[in-house]
Amino acid sequence: MSASNPVESAFGSADTKLLDTYLPSPNAYDELTSGRGEVRPRWQRVLEAFTAMGGDATQAAQDKAQRLMVENDVTFAALGDRDASRQWRLDLFPLLLGPDEWSAIERGVVQRTLLLNRLLGDLYGAQRVLKDRLLPPGLVYGNKQFLRPCTSIAVRDDLHLNFVAYDLARAADGRWWVVSDRTQAPSGAGYALENRVVSSQCLPELFAERNVRRLASFFRAFSERFLSLSPREQPQAVFLSPGPSKQNYFEHAYLARYLGFSFVEGSDLTVRDDRVYLKTVGGLKRVDLIMRRIDSELCDPLELRTDSLIGVPGLLQAARAGTVTIGNALGSGLVESDSFLSFLPSLSKYFLDEELAMPSLATWWCGQERERRYVLDHVDELVVRRVSSSRSLFPRGQEGLITANMPAEDRERLIRAIERNGHEFIGQEPISLSLAPTWAGSSSLRAAPVVLRVYVAATSKGYEVMPGGLTRVADGIDPHAPWLELGDVSKDTWVLSDQPVEQFSLLAQRQASQGLRRGGRNLPSRAADNLFWLGRYMERAEGAVRLLRSLVVRLGGEMGSTRMLVSPERVVGMLMAQKHLSARRGRRAMQEGREAVQEELWTILFDPECKDGLATVLGNVQRNAEVVRERLSYDTFRILRDLTEVSQSWELSPGHETDDALRLLNRLIQYLAAFNGMVAENMTHGYGWRFLDMGRRLERTRAMIQVIQQLAVRGDALTGGELELLLELADSTMTYRGRYQAAPQLPAVLDLLLCDETNPRSAVYQIATLDEHIAHLPPGGEEGIRTADQRLVTRLKNELNLADPVELGGGVMRFDTRIDLDRLLRRIERDVHVLSDHIAERFFSHSSATRVGGAGSGRG
Amino acid sequence: MLYDIRHKTTFNYEENVSVSHHVLHLAPRRHPQQTCVESETIVHPQPAVDSIGEDYFGNPIQHLTVQKPHKQLVVDAHARVEVRPAAQPIALEQSAAWEAVREQLAAYEALDAYERVFESPYVAGDDAVYEYALESFTPGRPILAATMDLTGRIFREFQYRGGVSDVSTPVSEVFTMRQGVCQDFAHLEIACLRSLGLAARYVSGYLMTRPPEGKEKLVGSDASHAWVSVFAGELGWVDFDPTNDVIPGVEHITFAWGRDYGDVSPINGFIVGGGAHQVSVAVDVSPEPSP
Repeated sequence: MSASNPVESAFGSADTKLLDTYLPSPNAYDELTSGRGEVRPRWQRVLEAFTAMGGDATQAAQDKAQRLMVENDVTFAALGDRDASRQWRLDLFPLLLGPDEWSAIERGVVQRTLLLNRLLGDLYGAQRVLKDRLLPPGLVYGNKQFLRPCTSIAVRDDLHLNFVAYDLARAADGRWWVVSDRTQAPSGAGYALENRVVSSQCLPELFAERNVRRLASFFRAFSERFLSLSPREQPQAVFLSPGPSKQNYFEHAYLARYLGFSFVEGSDLTVRDDRVYLKTVGGLKRVDLIMRRIDSELCDPLELRTDSLIGVPGLLQAARAGTVTIGNALGSGLVESDSFLSFLPSLSKYFLDEELAMPSLATWWCGQERERRYVLDHVDELVVRRVSSSRSLFPRGQEGLITANMPAEDRERLIRAIERNGHEFIGQEPISLSLAPTWAGSSSLRAAPVVLRVYVAATSKGYEVMPGGLTRVADGIDPHAPWLELGDVSKDTWVLSDQPVEQFSLLAQRQASQGLRRGGRNLPSRAADNLFWLGRYMERAEGAVRLLRSLVVRLGGEMGSTRMLVSPERVVGMLMAQKHLSARRGRRAMQEGREAVQEELWTILFDPECKDGLATVLGNVQRNAEVVRERLSYDTFRILRDLTEVSQSWELSPGHETDDALRLLNRLIQYLAAFNGMVAENMTHGYGWRFLDMGRRLERTRAMIQVIQQLAVRGDALTGGELELLLELADSTMTYRGRYQAAPQLPAVLDLLLCDETNPRSAVYQIATLDEHIAHLPPGGEEGIRTADQRLVTRLKNELNLADPVELGGGVMRFDTRIDLDRLLRRIERDVHVLSDHIAERFFSHSSATRVGGAGSGRG
Repeated sequence: MLYDIRHKTTFNYEENVSVSHHVLHLAPRRHPQQTCVESETIVHPQPAVDSIGEDYFGNPIQHLTVQKPHKQLVVDAHARVEVRPAAQPIALEQSAAWEAVREQLAAYEALDAYERVFESPYVAGDDAVYEYALESFTPGRPILAATMDLTGRIFREFQYRGGVSDVSTPVSEVFTMRQGVCQDFAHLEIACLRSLGLAARYVSGYLMTRPPEGKEKLVGSDASHAWVSVFAGELGWVDFDPTNDVIPGVEHITFAWGRDYGDVSPINGFIVGGGAHQVSVAVDVSPEPSP
């Protein structure tokens, strides 16, 4: 870069490289440098610090930030969408805002929130603004977010807006403008928190040295005010999420945990007696407050959109009855429509008797004749689009946007639509974005356009602003791009204070202010169900991995030793019987000899597309883990992710496949053990842990019974290595050797694997553990009357306790089969299956409501 | 004319329903040409929540929650309604020019009516619907004469046929198929009127039907009915029935109105559990001699 770069001289020569490629634009405000090319005062210390770090250390910190995001599994992705590009990305160069500038922003957005709250109260109430002709009625009546059934809800304390956000952009003159209002259920605050956590870890000294205002007290103030909206003592608040199919799911779980609200989906809630209840494993629990992340129109299919699958039928009636408070109030999405933007100045005078403090992006609503004409006359200079816009944090393109290079036919169609349905369209000035320094790698910075999202919450002291925000970097270099095409890079936002900042963590505070609490009692039935299946799938994965390892070992030579006598073909048969391998693939492998078995094995182990391969087994684990992610610790979840990722990235070296496969399988067993250890040692032993463990115990019993069935029921002498394999699969070889110091005998093996209560792999141990879990779960039915699952688990325990291994192992044989053993195993297998159903029936009933219409009604 | 109207809905479920919620529009609304003599809804099993109110459009609305396990739910609504003829016949040709009504609406002179100008969930127009409407709405034509013409065209050019459409069939599809039932025709006519900037609403109610000559009327053979209402300026709202090409008189009994079917569906419900379900509806409209 040429020496004429004005920044260079201002910054000195220590590490000019950092700014070599930094190009401020003459047409946009530059966050880093002033018009005269000097580094702005608020940036000086930060820039010095980065320079002192040097390019390598900065890159290292940047890499660390990315690693932390991966490790904390911060994603912006829907369930099943594992596209790596949707990993949350943080640029470590923060957006810096000085104290005075911040006060101006605060004033602007607090006033705006007061205004929008008043406006909502009026539109869902007396509609004075329409009668007094302050707003064209079409703005409201033509808006799909004007939800008529909500007009009869009395909103507590007239607080329609509890938590809102605004997207701000800085114009060339340095002023902040509001680009859009977010009053429905704004997203991003959780990501802002996570950005803060990570950036303060990656730049600890810089962060500590600057007086950067902390975020936690904002959330505490919000939470306190929200809880105070319930008249009941110790109110129960839930965080209502649309579920893992939404990109922001990570954030939902994160915020719910941060705020200490129960994390629920629509099907977890039910309405009885016009009250909302949470379906938990311990029965129905009253819900007083709902912080929703579901759009209003989808919240109650009974009265709003009947096709919503994520809502709670009857919620509106509960809200009308005043038994529940919902934040933001239902219907609040109405005023986030961009068509309101141009009316806010006059509304501000009308409601607040004040000038609007912060201007909005110049907007013309085409629902009015004059404005429509103006927009159509300036269609190429303005951004003309449909009002309903993408509400993703990172919008990609725009629906109904008129562009210069679109086909003439489409353009005419849109213009005709504007002429007839003008109320659905707006025209806006192109957005002007400021440029902020952004790490470009190779020790250099680039000037990238940014948009700032700030958050406002209702607190007991009125509306307060989160001292920070979510800064997003636009993809293109051109800050005047027709519409925000935001990339997926974000920045932390540092609001600088001229006073020392408070040090405070929300998590610590909650304990002190609310008294001690023991969690785990209000486990939603759906979460219990998911944890139960996570336990089952984990155990099933372990079973598959152990069997595969036995197979690999048997393929790898050492065929002379006795313990290897069981042929690979027999192991393949077991894999088929346990449904770890499809019958088709198994038969094909066995018909074509050992080489074919090997070929198939590599496919099963390493091909991510193989339907009955390892990837699928682990995929089941992954899917179940993701929907209960908020109930697992970071470390636990990390192990699960490593578990599923390690096999995908495993390198096979030709000629050494057997070794590679063995190493992989051993590694997987280690991860599985680590997960089990985490669960046992780190997960609080509440209901959630019990259901996870119950799933595992049931699956382990089932698998144990099956392998005994396959290896020990038939055959006279069992000298072909069957018992050795059995011990190997049950991880009980050492125990056996230590106990008997002799070749395995069937009665002794059966004792160890079925009846020995001290062996954590034995069937009876699993059943005894299940019995204990069930005893600790909420009782069902009438007092003193045992439920079906309790009766069944007692019977299983008795059966195993009374079993005589000597008789079972040496008893009558008919048609080459040990009759007594066979019968016992079949009974247990059946009972375990039924037990699983009983548990599901008693604890997991969380089915969604389905619609029933009066078919034929109104169809005359 | 006094009518005895019964609308009985029976839900049968394969398995137990643990909780069910229903919203009903099964009681007749206030109406200048109608008097509701009696209205009652009997629900079995007994609902835990049974509340009566008024919806945004002024229609009676009833909320039910049944909380004990049930395999059958019967909602038996009964009403006696007196319907009086209009004071004087509607002079179609004397109504205001349709463009004048549109201007009046756009100037917000009738807020309540203006609300019915906009698209609603079940009624979205398109260019084809607009062109179709324009054929009746020639420049300067009195609004009611034009609406009558449109009503007649829909009656003649569209075939009444059950089973080809359902509640969610969009107007554009009905328009292409050229067939449907009363609800489809009402939605289509509303879409036509709104595409012109006029205000139109959906009316849900019942129609007295006569058995074929010489035959007994079958009990339960009637159905609920739907037609439209257009805002005609000073004349207020005037009803048209595109299914029968008539201006409703004493044989149409009005129960509810809204923007479209979605606002006034007679019974809408959500259940938890239940498995497969069957719904049967029996409607009877019997005239009684006026007292």
